[in-house]
Amino acid sequence: MRISLVASALAVSAAAPTSAFAVDYLSIEQAAKLMFPEADSFEAHDVTLDAAQLQQLDAQGVKARSAHWSVRTAKRGGNTLGFIVFDEVIGKVELISYAVGIGLDGTVKQIEILAYRESHGFEVRLPAWRKQFVGKGASSAIKVGEDIANISGATLSCTHVTDGVRRIVAVVAAARRGGALV
Amino acid sequence: MNVAGGVGFDRRARPLLGTIVDIGVRSGASGTAPIDAAFAEIEALQRCLSRFDPASDVARFNALPAGASLAPGAATLELLEAAQALFATSAGLFDLSAGTAPEGWACRDGRLHKLDPRTRLDLGGIGKGHAVDRAVQRLIEHGATAGWVNAGGDLRVFGDIELPIALRDEAGGGSRPFAALADGAFATSHYGAGTRSRLAGSTRPAHVSVAAPLCLWADALTKVVALSGDTSHPLLARHRALAWLH
Repeated sequence: MRISLVASALAVSAAAPTSAFAVDYLSIEQAAKLMFPEADSFEAHDVTLDAAQLQQLDAQGVKARSAHWSVRTAKRGGNTLGFIVFDEVIGKVELISYAVGIGLDGTVKQIEILAYRESHGFEVRLPAWRKQFVGKGASSAIKVGEDIANISGATLSCTHVTDGVRRIVAVVAAARRGGALV
Repeated sequence: MNVAGGVGFDRRARPLLGTIVDIGVRSGASGTAPIDAAFAEIEALQRCLSRFDPASDVARFNALPAGASLAPGAATLELLEAAQALFATSAGLFDLSAGTAPEGWACRDGRLHKLDPRTRLDLGGIGKGHAVDRAVQRLIEHGATAGWVNAGGDLRVFGDIELPIALRDEAGGGSRPFAALADGAFATSHYGAGTRSRLAGSTRPAHVSVAAPLCLWADALTKVVALSGDTSHPLLARHRALAWLH
């Protein structure tokens, strides 16, 4: 083990947090291929849940958050292999983009984080802060934040992602029951 | 080689162990196999250690009556044996039972015995570190020459690289540069309002960081340092570890 402290490391009182931090892991296309490597095509569907479907979700304890969802279907030779849904959640200081792969049996096949953005704390709620990342795919943006500094601190919680995954599973199930996805 | 910039590294992240687990490896001929194997290892360990999965070793132990025992998986056993040793050498400071009945469990002959009906185990204080170490083993076995695993702040780096480490500020967000680490592990615990335990002798929110060769010890020793308030606790030297309060 070798560890060397940076000059200001122990000057705690003077060391106000300086840098926010951002990482891009995968584009949604890359994530879809990782989750369904056997697929030969992916089709995008816009799914709109109606009032009755939203009420059903509510009764299951799931807040759908939006009636409109974009779902990709993984296909091979015309047969559906499963579904991929992309979503973003906002935590106390972080914005997390992720994708969920769902198999034909309706269970989660894989979850991949696509991007992680951490703010100084308040910017995360500002549309302008979030907008700077729109359209930054993995190919373009590995240098966002100019580092891959590995962060240590109080453990980050993935509660928002976990809640989001539960929501996506319920939304896809409702859309399939309603015939919007086959 | 300092890897700030990240060019030439493949990087993925998944929500696991209640946090975001970030894995990076130097791009190479092995493709995604090392990272896939490392995530699979962490997923398997999560199934063994989760208090919330009724089929896990930990949940099955918690449901056992006193006097009964079970055969945990090899990874769970390795972790429990380390925790048992640390309970003894830390004079009870490191306690997997979180005060429910610290001496109510024992590992003997490959089995986990329940001695006291009140004992409930929670491997939150050591499980992430162990998962990081096992994931690093899988990366190396699958051909990765350099890289890291970071389970929400419990991290380890291997190979011929030096990883910049930044500390997150729990209160205000953001992070600040702290150190560069090679061939070792680093873990931080935060103590303050709403956390399960307190830092000895302090009512102020604070962080404890520990660097050690293995992540299991870095993770576990943050608790010993926090509970003793001693950044030169003798157990640190025994595990070739260093600690900081900040």
